Amino acid sequence: MGKKVFVIDTARCNGCYNCQIVCKDEHVGNDWSPIAKPQPEIGQFWVHLQEKVRGTVPKVKVAYRPHLCQHCDDAPCMDACKVEGAVYKREDGLVVIDTDKCTGCRLCVAACPYDAIFFNEDLNLAQKCTGCAHLLDDGWGEPRCADACPTEALKLMDEDEAKELIAKAETVKGTYDSGAKPRVYYLGLPKKFIAGTLYEPVEEEVVIGAKATLKAADGKVLTTETDAYGDFWFEGIDDGVYSLELASAGKKVAFADLDTTEADINLGDIPLA
Amino acid sequence: MADETYKPPTAKATGADKTVHKALGLSGGIFGASPCAVDVKDGKIIRIRPLHWDSAYDPKTFNPWTIERNGKQLKPYFKSVPAPWSLAYKKRAYSPNRVNYPLKRVDWDPKGERNPQNRGKSQFERISWDEAAQIVADEVQRLCDTYGPLSILVQGDGHGECKMVHAPHGCSTLLLDKLGGFTQQIRNPDSWEGWYWGSKHVWGKGYIGMMAPNDNIVKDICENSDMVVMWGGDPETTTWGFRGQFASRLLYFWTEIGIKQVYINPDLNYAAAVHADKWIPVLPNTDAALQLAIMYMWMTEGTYDKEYVETHTVGFDKMKAYVLGEEDGTPKTPAWASPKCGIPTWTIKALARDWAKKVVTIGHYFGGGMARGPYSTEPARLECVLLGMQGLGKPGVHQAQVAYTGMPKNIITGGADHMGPFANLNSKPYGERLLKPHRGTPTAWGKQMIPKVLVEEAIRDGKCEFWGTGGHEEPTSDQYRRYEYPIAKEKGGTEIHRMWTDTPCRVTCWGGGGEVMEAFRNPKIEIVVAQHPWLENDTLCADIIFPVTTTLECDDISPCIREGDSFQSVVLMNRAIDPVGEARTDYHVVCAIAEKMGKLELVTDGFTDEELVRGTYEGMKFDTVTPWEEFVEKQYTVLPVAPDWEKWPAGLYEFWKDPVNNPIPTPTGKLEFWSESLEKAFPTDEERPGIPKWIEKGITHDERISSYRARKYPLLVMSNHGRWRTHAQGDDIPWTKETVTGKIKGWDGYWYEPCWINTNDAKARGIKQGDIVKVFNERGTVLCGALVWERIIPGCISVDHGARADFIDDDFTLERGGAINVVSPKGLTSKHAGGQATSGYLAEVAKVSMAEMEEWREKYPKAFERPYDPASGLRYDSWVKEGR
Repeated sequence: MGKKVFVIDTARCNGCYNCQIVCKDEHVGNDWSPIAKPQPEIGQFWVHLQEKVRGTVPKVKVAYRPHLCQHCDDAPCMDACKVEGAVYKREDGLVVIDTDKCTGCRLCVAACPYDAIFFNEDLNLAQKCTGCAHLLDDGWGEPRCADACPTEALKLMDEDEAKELIAKAETVKGTYDSGAKPRVYYLGLPKKFIAGTLYEPVEEEVVIGAKATLKAADGKVLTTETDAYGDFWFEGIDDGVYSLELASAGKKVAFADLDTTEADINLGDIPLA
Repeated sequence: MADETYKPPTAKATGADKTVHKALGLSGGIFGASPCAVDVKDGKIIRIRPLHWDSAYDPKTFNPWTIERNGKQLKPYFKSVPAPWSLAYKKRAYSPNRVNYPLKRVDWDPKGERNPQNRGKSQFERISWDEAAQIVADEVQRLCDTYGPLSILVQGDGHGECKMVHAPHGCSTLLLDKLGGFTQQIRNPDSWEGWYWGSKHVWGKGYIGMMAPNDNIVKDICENSDMVVMWGGDPETTTWGFRGQFASRLLYFWTEIGIKQVYINPDLNYAAAVHADKWIPVLPNTDAALQLAIMYMWMTEGTYDKEYVETHTVGFDKMKAYVLGEEDGTPKTPAWASPKCGIPTWTIKALARDWAKKVVTIGHYFGGGMARGPYSTEPARLECVLLGMQGLGKPGVHQAQVAYTGMPKNIITGGADHMGPFANLNSKPYGERLLKPHRGTPTAWGKQMIPKVLVEEAIRDGKCEFWGTGGHEEPTSDQYRRYEYPIAKEKGGTEIHRMWTDTPCRVTCWGGGGEVMEAFRNPKIEIVVAQHPWLENDTLCADIIFPVTTTLECDDISPCIREGDSFQSVVLMNRAIDPVGEARTDYHVVCAIAEKMGKLELVTDGFTDEELVRGTYEGMKFDTVTPWEEFVEKQYTVLPVAPDWEKWPAGLYEFWKDPVNNPIPTPTGKLEFWSESLEKAFPTDEERPGIPKWIEKGITHDERISSYRARKYPLLVMSNHGRWRTHAQGDDIPWTKETVTGKIKGWDGYWYEPCWINTNDAKARGIKQGDIVKVFNERGTVLCGALVWERIIPGCISVDHGARADFIDDDFTLERGGAINVVSPKGLTSKHAGGQATSGYLAEVAKVSMAEMEEWREKYPKAFERPYDPASGLRYDSWVKEGR
C-alpha cells in the first residue's frame, strides 16, 4: 500500500459542505470498529469546513477550508497516548484511534495542535477522521469526503503522484508549534488583500488606469493599475504594514500604516482630489 | 476515451446488503435530478453517495461532450454532484417529525361540531387507516352531492421529491377528475414571476417566461462571452434542488478561461462568495433604477447596437423618451438611480461602459432579489431591453439560467421543449394515469381555478378575479383574459368547502403568511385534508392527516432528463427501506380513499405500480438505449449525448441573424420594448405600463425606502431561496443546521433561522452576532438569529424563505421558526400580475431581550412547552395526543 496524502485546493472549494456532511452520513449511527465507532448525532466535525469572510462591503470574499485530522508523521496524539497501539499509524500514513484500545483518557485530545480530535462522552472514546480507512481497506480509492466533493477540490492521493502539487502546497499551523509533519496539503490558501475603488469626485467618474504602488515595511514594492471599475486589488500579500499611493494625471492620494496583520483591507471608494 | 485521466470508480456498497438508486433532487415529480446510490443494511440506510455514471457502463458509450476555449477544456464529470442535503436525505426519512399514523384533529367531528376556529391550535389523535379513508371518502361524496365537485380545492402543485408513479403532488386529481372535476389552486410562478408576467410581453412566451430557445447556450457562452453579469440568482444554491452542483464546475471553468463574473445582488450570495470578479451590491428590488441608468448611458453615449435595435425591436423611441426624461421630465441618469439603488454614480457609469465594450450574457438561477419583489415585471422587462440593446442572440449574448438549460443534448429527448419528452407517454394507455398528477404543477387545467396567491382572499370574500391563470405553459395572451372565481353556477361553479393539500407549505413559501393560516379557519371550509410525510406548516391546520412515505420507502422510477448535470439519465428507484410507521405513498393514499368509494379502478386505470414503472421507461423510449431487463439489473441508465448535439443554434442566434424569417413569438415577431397589446389590454395600469418603468409605489405595493412606512420600518428585506432547503423541504436535517449559515443557536437553546445583517446596521441597533432578534412590520413579527457580517449591504437584511413555521401566538402574527413570509406583502406582483412579492419589502429588526421573551413565555406558555429537539427542530409529539 502506497502512502497517502490529502491534497485540498481551497481555490476550488465552493463551500458546499458535502465533505462535512457525508462524513456524518458515514459515521453517525454506523459502527466501523475497530476503525471508528459511531459519531454523535451533532457536535463533532471530523471534517470541519471552516469559513472566513474577508474584507468589507463591497470588496468581500469568502475563504473556505476543510479542516480535518492532519494524519501527522510525528503525531503529537500518538506521543501523548499511554496505551500501546491505541493511536497508531497505518502503512498508508493514516493515523487511526483503535476503538478497542482507547481508554478515554483524553490525552490525545489535549495534545492535538489542530483541535481535530473529539471526545465522545457516551462511548468514553476519542474520535476523529480516519481517512475512511474502513473503506480504503475494502478497495475504495478515496474517502467519502473526496467522493462527494463536486469540484475535486478535496482529494486523497498517493504521495508519489502528488509530488508536484505538494511542492506548491502548504500545511497549516496548529495551536502550537508542534513540528508534527502534517500530511494534509493545502493549495490556494488565501493571504491578505488591500483593495479599493478610485474615483474623480467632480465628474463622478471612476479613474481607470491609475497607478497603484504598495510599499511593504521591508521596502518591497508592488504595483498595479486600476481597472475598468476604478478598482485596484493587491491580493496574496503577506501580513504586515504597508503604505499605498494612487496616482493619475498628476493627482495623488496616499495612505500610510495599512496593517494587514489582523484583516484584509478595503479602502472603499476613494476620491482622487 | 474522452478523458485520458479517467479512472474506474472504486466507491462501493461497503458494509451493505443492498444498494438502490434514488434521484434525490427536490425539484418535483416529473423531472428527476441528483441520482444517488443508497446503501442499506438490515433494513436501515447506512449511506447515500453520488452515483458514478460509469459504475455499470463503459463511459465511451455515453459519447462524452467537450467544450473548449483558449486551449482549455470543460468535460463531463463521471458522477453525479448532489447537494449536501441530498446526501443527508436519510435524516429526513428518520426525522422525529414524521407523521407515523393517520391523524384526526381532536375537536373535529364530521358528524358533529367541526370547530374550524381551532385549526392550527388543537392537537391530533391517532386513528386507523380504515377510519381515515372512510371519513374522507364519505366527505368527498357528501360535498359532491351538496355543493358539487368543484367545492373541493386541490392544493397539489410545486416542488417535491422526484417520483414519477407516486407523484408527490396532484394524485388527488386522479380521483376528483373522474368525479366531475375540482377547483385547482394554480401554482403561480414562484421564482421567476418577473419574467413570466413581464418578459413574456417583450420576447413572447419563452421558456416559462425566460429566454427561448436556449439550446446550446452553455457552449456558446464558454466560446464567445467576455463577461457574465449574474443578476440576482445564485447558481451555487438554487441549482442544488434542481440539478445538483454541476453549475459550480462551469463557473470555475469560466474563471479559468477568462470570462469575468460580475454579481449584482444585495447579498454576497454563495456563488459571488467564490466566483465574483466584481460584486456590485444593489438595494433589494431597486434593479430597475440601475437598469434604466445603464440604458441612459448607452443612449447618450451611443454605445448600443443601433442596427439591431432598428431591425429587431419595436418601441425603442418610447423607451428612449422615457429614459431620457422626455416623457416625464426626469432623465434616468446614474445620479437619479444612485440614491434609489445604493450604487455610486461612478460605478453605474463604469458598469455601463464596460458592458458596452464586451460580449455579455446575463446569468441567473431563478430566485434572487431581482425577479421576486413587488413590481418584478419591470426589472425583468428592462433586462430584455438591455439585452436587446446589445444584440440579443448574437454569439455570447443571452439570458442564461446557468446550466439549467443549454447543455449538450442527449439522443432520446434531443431538441424537445420543456414538456416534450413526455409527449410519447400521452399516447400510451397508461399515459393519463402517469401524467395527470404532474399536470397540476405546470398547467392550469382545473374546471374552476384560484391562483395560489389569492387563495385566502377567495376564501374570505367568497370570490376573486384575476387576469391570466399563471399556469406555466400558458401563452402570453392568457394574461389579457379575465377570470373569475367562482365560475358560473350553471357550469358547476361553487365556493370551495374543502381543502385537500399534498403541498402543505404555503405559510412559509408564499406571501402573506399569517393570513394563509387564518383562511384555514374559515367556517366555510368544512374539512381540510393533508397528506404529507412530516407534521409541519399548513399540515397543522388539517382535520385529517395521512402519513406519506418519502422516496426512500417506495418503488418508483425517475427520468433525470433535465439538462444541468454532466449527463442525463434514468433511475430505477427501488425501495431502500420499509415505510416508516403506517406511511403510504401519495398515490396509495388516494387509492385507499377511492377504494372506500368503490372507485379504485377509476384511479388506477387498471394498471399495477410495476406496470406503471415499466410503462414510464418504455413509453418514453428509454429501452432503445438500454433494454428493460438490463435496466432492471443495473438500476439506471445514462442517455448518450447526441452525436450531432452541436447542430442546435445557440439561443436566439437565428433571430439575430435574420429576424424576418425567424421571428420570435410576439405580435410583431420582434422584441417589443413597447408592447401595444399590453397597453391595449390595460390602458390605465400604471404598475405594468406599455414600456417597462421604475415604479416608486402604486396601488398594490408601497415598499420603497421613500415610503412614509420606512420611517418605522427602514430596512429592506431580501429573501432568497434557502441554501439548506428547497423552498420548505429539508429544514429538519440536523447536519445542515450545523453550518455557519444553517441555524443560529440562541441563548435559550432554540436554533433560529439566520438573519443576515450588516455590521453597521447591527451596531446601530445594539445587535451582536448570535443574538435573538425580531424582524417585524405591521404584518407580524418573526424571530431569527443574528448573523452579523459583511456579506450583506447596509440598509438591508436577508432571511431565506421556507423555514418551518413555529407560531407562538394563536393569531399567526408572532413566529419563531423564521418563516419570514409572515411579514412579507400578501397578494400580487402588481394589479394584473399574479406573482408574489416576497423579497424587497420594508421591515425593522431589533434585539429580543430576555424580558421580552419572558413576557411571551408567560402569555403563550403552550408554544414554549412544545417538545423540541435542537438537532432536528420541532417534533411530531408536540402536536399529537399521547405522542407516539
